[in-house]
Amino acid sequence: MKLFLLALGLAWAQVAVPPLTGRVVDQTGTLTREQHAGLERTLQEFEARKGSQLAVLLVPTTAPEPIEQFALRVAEQWKIGRKKVDDGAILVVAKDDRALRIEVGYGLEGVLNDATAKRIVSDVIVPRFREGEFYVGINAGLDRMMRVIDGEPLPAPAKSQPGAQGETFQMLPVLLILALVGGSILRAVLGRFLGAAATGGVVGFVAWTLAGAIAMAALAGALAFFFTLMGGGAGRRYGGFPGMYGGGGTFGGGGASGRW
Amino acid sequence: MRRSWIALSLLVLLLSGCGYNTLQTADEQIKSAWSEVLNQYQRRADLVPNLVETVKAFATQEREVFTRVTEARARVGSIQATPELVDNPEAFAKFQAAQGELAGALSRLLVVAENYPQLKSDANFRDLQAQLEGTENRIAVARNRYIKAVQDYNVTVRSFPSNLTAMVFGFKTKPNFTVENEREIGKAPKVDFGKK
Repeated sequence: MKLFLLALGLAWAQVAVPPLTGRVVDQTGTLTREQHAGLERTLQEFEARKGSQLAVLLVPTTAPEPIEQFALRVAEQWKIGRKKVDDGAILVVAKDDRALRIEVGYGLEGVLNDATAKRIVSDVIVPRFREGEFYVGINAGLDRMMRVIDGEPLPAPAKSQPGAQGETFQMLPVLLILALVGGSILRAVLGRFLGAAATGGVVGFVAWTLAGAIAMAALAGALAFFFTLMGGGAGRRYGGFPGMYGGGGTFGGGGASGRW
Repeated sequence: MRRSWIALSLLVLLLSGCGYNTLQTADEQIKSAWSEVLNQYQRRADLVPNLVETVKAFATQEREVFTRVTEARARVGSIQATPELVDNPEAFAKFQAAQGELAGALSRLLVVAENYPQLKSDANFRDLQAQLEGTENRIAVARNRYIKAVQDYNVTVRSFPSNLTAMVFGFKTKPNFTVENEREIGKAPKVDFGKK
């Protein structure tokens, strides 16, 4: 019980892991909009070319945790890197702590090993950070990391396959969300039953125009009707579309830290 | 014939409903978490000879420190670190103590290294030190994951109704890393080379 309370206390005291809103998450306001976008683009291109996911996180502090523990929690939550390939790496900077860490996924531990990561931290990034050149340091550090990872033969990045069939199926999640959102609005305006009926009708029509099959459209319409009828407070679930998803990569504490 | 089928499916339902599968899964998770712990301890032990050699080249007179590290390394190596170690609390404690001793000896070695500026700037030493730091961190991670796995398992073994299943099939609670050991072993040999 005591241990449980202790764990609970620790959980409260910890800095929460920020949501993965992009490849670069800056909570300190250090990067300008152009710098942010530039880094984001570089990392996106790298993933498209090599398949490996990299991310950057800037926080004011990780206290009371050491940066190693915090970085691992970030890694476990974000799941950067492809599933099974585990080729993700995260650069975490705790600005007020004057500490940084490169957290390396299992799949990159061979090429971006501890010694290499440490060199990037202390020879490439730290000297720039000491001069207050945060963007330059991050940019140079990422650049070096990408060059190192380029030397590792990784599975080729998956190509998206556009096709008529694929597109319809890609539309499905969007349709579902539209139905949920639209349904809850209609329900609020027209009342429970009328709103559900309207949503069912709209979804059925959209499905009919998209898929062309009347039976499927009727089914979709009926489903939407019942979902809206039953749905309670579905309005809190969605919080905008994140521009980035972790691929399911795993981490085991590899990498290196440094201070400036 | 038909009755035996019904009895069999009932048994299956009963077993899956009373935590047998959960116990099996949790047990397997402990095993894999434990082998990761062993793996990382082994990685640290493998670093020792190289590290000692490198420090020796610069700090010849620190004989006592080298002996301590080498002896601790030998003691760690002499313990058969099998996965079954987990089921034997006594051997587990002994293993823990040996690893703790090695951690202590290594941190002494790094403190000693502080006094030799030439050693500190040696590229080989810096790489080894980065590897040691990384390995200590991996050990901490592996240990935490093991602790969590054992907690999950022990809760299942103790709570109703899975405790009955555990009793019937002989699942016992497993030893975990204790807080005293945690403090002793958790001390990573950390030396800050960033400044000065």
